[in-house]
Amino acid sequence: MCMRCVEITRRSLLVGGTAAAASLHAGIAEARVRPQDMAPLVGPGYRPTEKDEIGIWQLMERAEEEIAGSNLLIQDPKLTGYLKNLIGTVGGPAAKDFRIYLARVPDFNAMMFPSGFAVVFSGLLLRMRNEAQLAGVIAHEAGHFLRRHQIRAWRDTRRKTDLFAIGSMLAGIGGAGAGVYLGNYVQLAQLGTLLSLFKYSRDMEAEADAMGIKQLAETGYAPIEMANIWQQLIGEEYASARYRGKSRRHGSIFDSHPSTDARMRDLRLDAAEVTVPGRAYDNGRARYLSTIAEIRPTLLDDQVKLNDPGASEYLIQTLAQDGWNGLLRFYEGEVWRLRNRPGDDVRAAQSYAAAVVYPDAPADAWRWHGISLMKQGRQAEAKAAFGRYLKIKPDAPDAAWVRQMAG
Amino acid sequence: MRNRGLALALALSVSVSACVQTQQYADVQFTPPQGDYKLLVLRPDVTVGSITTGGMVEPRADWTDQARASIVQALRNQQASHGGRVTIVERRDQLPGVTPEELAEVERLNAAVAESIVVHKYLGDYLPTKRGKGLDWTIGQQAVRLGQKTGYDYALFLHAEDQVASRGRIALGVLGLAGCVVGFCAPNIGGAQQIDYASLVDLKTGEVVWFNVVIAGSQVPGISFGNLRTPEGAAQMVDRLLGRMKPGQAIQQSHAQSQPQQQRGDR
Repeated sequence: MCMRCVEITRRSLLVGGTAAAASLHAGIAEARVRPQDMAPLVGPGYRPTEKDEIGIWQLMERAEEEIAGSNLLIQDPKLTGYLKNLIGTVGGPAAKDFRIYLARVPDFNAMMFPSGFAVVFSGLLLRMRNEAQLAGVIAHEAGHFLRRHQIRAWRDTRRKTDLFAIGSMLAGIGGAGAGVYLGNYVQLAQLGTLLSLFKYSRDMEAEADAMGIKQLAETGYAPIEMANIWQQLIGEEYASARYRGKSRRHGSIFDSHPSTDARMRDLRLDAAEVTVPGRAYDNGRARYLSTIAEIRPTLLDDQVKLNDPGASEYLIQTLAQDGWNGLLRFYEGEVWRLRNRPGDDVRAAQSYAAAVVYPDAPADAWRWHGISLMKQGRQAEAKAAFGRYLKIKPDAPDAAWVRQMAG
Repeated sequence: MRNRGLALALALSVSVSACVQTQQYADVQFTPPQGDYKLLVLRPDVTVGSITTGGMVEPRADWTDQARASIVQALRNQQASHGGRVTIVERRDQLPGVTPEELAEVERLNAAVAESIVVHKYLGDYLPTKRGKGLDWTIGQQAVRLGQKTGYDYALFLHAEDQVASRGRIALGVLGLAGCVVGFCAPNIGGAQQIDYASLVDLKTGEVVWFNVVIAGSQVPGISFGNLRTPEGAAQMVDRLLGRMKPGQAIQQSHAQSQPQQQRGDR
């Protein structure tokens, strides 16, 4: 009998199936947490005082040491300083206590650890269209710390597993004493406990969204941008699923986070609530784009190499809503070239041709433009394109080969 | 974090209801260090937690600090009896001439290698290419460079994890035992557990020359296997883990050949 590992047996799933189906509608449509109800629960310089939280912080010290020294981190002081400033702006009372690390992982994610350090994935910087959106995600993560979510969730889990352990033991003994088998009820209770833990986790996420959007609006960022993030993510998920011939996954009662759709819906309502009429809100797009300008080619390169053309194409189209440029056109071409289905070479060639029209076209755009022209038999134009490539990147590793190609 | 996963995998491999298990492997050419050797102990990784009534492990900072101090002291005593000179590094910036980054690299490398040793030596996923070769793993040039820079002969990595059954957990076990009266016997809900492992790296060759795991666990809460927080419990743990280093296969065989009579006599 293993009580330390929560086992989901087939029977418990069957027994719970009915209950789950019944609660599906009620379970997903959770009540929205209102931003005005969210007040930070920690002050500046917060330190834990109770033994469970002290224990967790001690574990986190070592975790942070590992993360801070990880070679996955992007150490560019311009970017790390920028993130530190942002969390210092939207971090409320704990603004000065947060630490924030940028990891090179091409995924949409950011996380807050119990002792107040956050990790942002580089995939987030690719997806955000302006500073307000990035600040919104960071404000959400800061919200977890400000509302003491990790320790509250830990205590909730401890309390519920304690109750379940005692309850199932009593049910076993009581049942044996009275001569009835209560095992099915114990399994139902187990499922109930599990579902209740997931529900608690979703409630915390909803709180973090509400806390975050409140901080965001108070610091003068356009709060609606936080809802827009989710709209973009929904679009990306659809595009990625459609390309792979799958249907997009919707939320379930076994999720730790509310569904993306629910978050977007709630954040729209939140945004309307926290917007003060007459106040000017900024989205800081120009500042954001100039800060990430140097790393953007790397971000795009990491994304197109994920072999998820549906999502990559969607992302590039979304970023291009703020205006096409040589970089975006080039990577649009890369998506097609790497997908390599019939006709994709033509699509890629068009993108490369469009890219080189812009003054910011990367050297590689000229290189691939040249190769495309050559395939079409347009030798003279190809030669000119290769010339441009070598002019921008005279010591390119393939310079000798390109010179030979150009003839 | 990786160490935590490793410990969990080891814990799951325990099938017995209550016992202390230890299993060591050594490089075929390994001779336990004796006499005048210099040993570097890198950041003993110690965590002590309390098992809640429901079975979660709650980390305890005060217990962890006490246990780490006791283990470090026990380690010094134990090594002194072997004649070795020991330096115990508790922070990455404590080793002169070595940057914290270099030390972190060696630590991470060792964590990855230790994980591989556990998977292929302890968890049943045996490799045919390593059959009969004793312990055939290496940390490589990075460990050799660490040895050259610091002048140490060996590096020892040590991980100790102790989970103590809380009063609530013990009470639940007692309740389960009381249930036997009416025919519902469940005292074996899982109790105290200790997982310790250590690896010894030869800093002249970079090879992992010796690896040992001690698992002490009880399915019945209330049975303890020595309290790491006390000097006695820590000394017992260090003795279980490091006290009985056996030489490698080749050394044992040559030893047996040189004294065949005695070997037969032993049987």
